[in-house]
Amino acid sequence: MASSFWKGVVGVGLLALAHAAFSAAQHRSYMRLTEKENETLPIDIVLQTLLAFVVTCYGIVHIAGEFRDMDASSELKLKTFDTLRNHPSFYLFNHRGRLLFRPAEQEASTVPSAQALPSNPLRLRKLENFH
Amino acid sequence: MATVSELYDVTWEEMRDKLRKWREENYRNSEQIVDVGEELINEHASKLGDDVWIIYEQVMIAALDCSRDDLAWTCLQELKRQFPDSHRVKRLAGMRLEALERYEDANKLYDSILQDDATNTAARKRKIAILKAQGKNTEAIRELNEYLEQFVGDQEAWHELSELYINEHDYAKAAFCLEELMMTNPHNHLYCEQYAEVKYTQGGLDNLELSRKYFAQALKLNNRNMRALFGLYMSASHIAASPKVSAKVKKDNVKYAAWAGAQINRAYQLAGRGTKENKCSVKAVEEMLESMQITMS
Repeated sequence: MASSFWKGVVGVGLLALAHAAFSAAQHRSYMRLTEKENETLPIDIVLQTLLAFVVTCYGIVHIAGEFRDMDASSELKLKTFDTLRNHPSFYLFNHRGRLLFRPAEQEASTVPSAQALPSNPLRLRKLENFH
Repeated sequence: MATVSELYDVTWEEMRDKLRKWREENYRNSEQIVDVGEELINEHASKLGDDVWIIYEQVMIAALDCSRDDLAWTCLQELKRQFPDSHRVKRLAGMRLEALERYEDANKLYDSILQDDATNTAARKRKIAILKAQGKNTEAIRELNEYLEQFVGDQEAWHELSELYINEHDYAKAAFCLEELMMTNPHNHLYCEQYAEVKYTQGGLDNLELSRKYFAQALKLNNRNMRALFGLYMSASHIAASPKVSAKVKKDNVKYAAWAGAQINRAYQLAGRGTKENKCSVKAVEEMLESMQITMS
């Protein structure tokens, strides 16, 4: 929602820039027709160009997304071994998760004993922190 | 059963962004991925566009972790239908076979991928993972070494090799792997800290001095790394308690250890301010620091 406003700003800036360019071209051809080659570009065209440029730059900065810190190590301050140690290409699946997280229907058929595992007590953990 | 979006009041865009964050930062919270991903696939597949395929892959791997073989199978079928001749999908099929402990079939599948494309790194890495899963650590180490001779820049593989060496208690080679990682990532405080821990484990005065220096480097890169702070305290105290050092070195290390102890105290005080148990926990930290007597054998 906010970004469409800034996209509008960039659009307006670019249009103004194009308009100033056309005005300058038209002024040049007018100069050529009236043979007054020594007149400089009117100041309002110059001002419009500069203003349009500033507005476009300001708008693009807002669209461009999150800025990152220049310091390479400051981004890493939040990284922990929890995620650094995970190597997705080498993931193994022979861990107890295969048994612990087995869905309830499979449990009912395999373990009919009195002290069967309660249906996934670990599921309660999910509700705590969805970080 | 309530859906994730109802329980936590999130939109499908937020769920998709969360999945992307977990994917890019290598989180292995498979239960959550399965819940969020399953709902995204079932309810919002049309809105996801081309993202849906990578989400299928992510959810499939998480489903294998959670023993949700039905979900893994459906994801695999969808991917096979969309990308019929893809090596990446074949690798996922191999991973499913590995999860079902059909290692021979998985190996055959990976060999067929490698016959088609000898440079496919993913299949080679899965073969090494199969060796690891079967407990054949020495062969896995040998294969991984051969792999790294060809693909020297693969940081994940270097870290995996260092972990394998640590499991085999071959700390010198583990230190070498971590040195490679530190060279390519000089700003990463975690590699410095892990290297320092390996050196500390190796023991001996030179290694202790080196470990103290690398703990200090890790702290320089990230002054909030508590593990490095504790490591600095331990290595400095260890050096100071050693009988073989000169008086000056002993004095310096006592100073370093005292500084590290003060920083630890301060960090615990700052962390616990505003809570009722602050005084007790600070006292506990002080007692713990005093009781960490290092006796040289």
